Amino acid sequence: MQLRRVAITGMGSISPLGRGTMALTEGIEAGRSGVRYMEGWNQYTGLRSLVAAPAELKDEKQIPRMARRSMGRMSIFAAQAAQDAIADAGLDPAFTSSGRLGCAVGSTTGSAISLNQTFETMLPDKDLSKLSSMMFFQCISHTASMNVAQYLRINGMVMAPCAACASALQAMGLGYDMVRLGRQDVMLCGGAEELHPTVTGSFDVLFATSVKYNDQPQKTPRPFDRDRDGLVCGEGSGILVLEDYDRAVQRNARIYAEVLGYYTCNSGDHVSESNRANMVTCMREALKLAGIEPSQVDYVNAHATATLQGDKEEAEAIHDVFGSSVPVSSLKGHLGHTLGASAAIELSAALSGMQKGMIYPTLNLENVSPECAGINHVAGSPLKRKGNILVKNSFAFGGISAVLVCRVP
Amino acid sequence: MTKEEVIKIVNNVFEELFEVPPEKLAPEARIFDGLGLDSLDTVDLIVALQKRFKVQIREDERVRNIRTLNDIYEFILTLEQEQAKKS
Repeated sequence: MQLRRVAITGMGSISPLGRGTMALTEGIEAGRSGVRYMEGWNQYTGLRSLVAAPAELKDEKQIPRMARRSMGRMSIFAAQAAQDAIADAGLDPAFTSSGRLGCAVGSTTGSAISLNQTFETMLPDKDLSKLSSMMFFQCISHTASMNVAQYLRINGMVMAPCAACASALQAMGLGYDMVRLGRQDVMLCGGAEELHPTVTGSFDVLFATSVKYNDQPQKTPRPFDRDRDGLVCGEGSGILVLEDYDRAVQRNARIYAEVLGYYTCNSGDHVSESNRANMVTCMREALKLAGIEPSQVDYVNAHATATLQGDKEEAEAIHDVFGSSVPVSSLKGHLGHTLGASAAIELSAALSGMQKGMIYPTLNLENVSPECAGINHVAGSPLKRKGNILVKNSFAFGGISAVLVCRVP
Repeated sequence: MTKEEVIKIVNNVFEELFEVPPEKLAPEARIFDGLGLDSLDTVDLIVALQKRFKVQIREDERVRNIRTLNDIYEFILTLEQEQAKKS
């Protein structure tokens, strides 16, 4: 069976730096951080990390009430990002109902705010009678994908890979496979997530969050840095349009990149610890499937969340695969860790940067940690270099690794 | 509670929860055809009315007869009278 080529023809995002790819890249190029001190979070006993990277929720009433009522905050982000991605791709909005366009949008959980509201309403009396009918739809694990599909009247495949921090990359991998196989002509792929003290709290109880910079929020997170002390949660949504390459060429679509390969695998080892060997396997297999040698790669956009263990494992894994010459950076210094949305938002930024001949730096990387040395860190200003081959990493709780390889024209 | 007070609270629910413009909130307005609510919205309508008026509506079969805003106003007034009699 002849497998199709797959192009990325549209991008949409809501991130801590604003709505749209332009806001995202302008913010990154200006060295802006989306991290803030979160007012009111100190009311949560035991929550030590009081910083996060919020996105702005606005223009939500442009979504008609009947579509919006089942959307929690993250689904609104996803719907807006998806709508922007379709417009960016120059697709006829009516094509969404053709059955040839599907979506794969993942997240860690359903709407965190709605989940908390549900339990706060119901407990401690265990009284269900006060619950809104829409709470279930906002909380359900496939809420983002479902709501994107309903809002845009998508009649093709609707999938929701919920794989925590690897959700968006697994969504892109799914979309890539569906288009490659000819099951769909176009797939909207990405992820979404929203902030809540309990989301940060989930990482906080594991001692994985940044706690030393509550009074200097923009100094954290610090991926790969000697003084990093953990991750900072962020929110938003990123959606990319993956399309049959020949179809894209035929309709004169702008091609941001071609997806060359994708791989995902698991360490089978530990629910939270990163695993260097698994990361290495995943990067190598993705490259093999892409038909790309490590020496041909121009940029590795890292997962690196600024956790002590995760950054170390990933730096060592990157060194194992690529040596010390390929430029590496993480955009989580600017954006925080947008969890289920991270790979899509970060890939949008990375591809846009590469199109402009730039590799974006890791914000807050001032002194490379000795355990993360041995790779070519991009820090300070963007590296001006024309490159084509990008590797995007995502690693998640549960030992999940996912890697995408793209070629920018 | 007077009928005017009931009207004000019920209309406020429709404005805030269902985003119905105030000019559409005439007593004879039909909830499903005219104001655009559907069966999922009726769950939320019941929850909101129960909360605002401190009455129990969910299991009351008379809910099925409601078609217009005025039907809601009258129903609430009836429930309040029944509650007052019990106490």
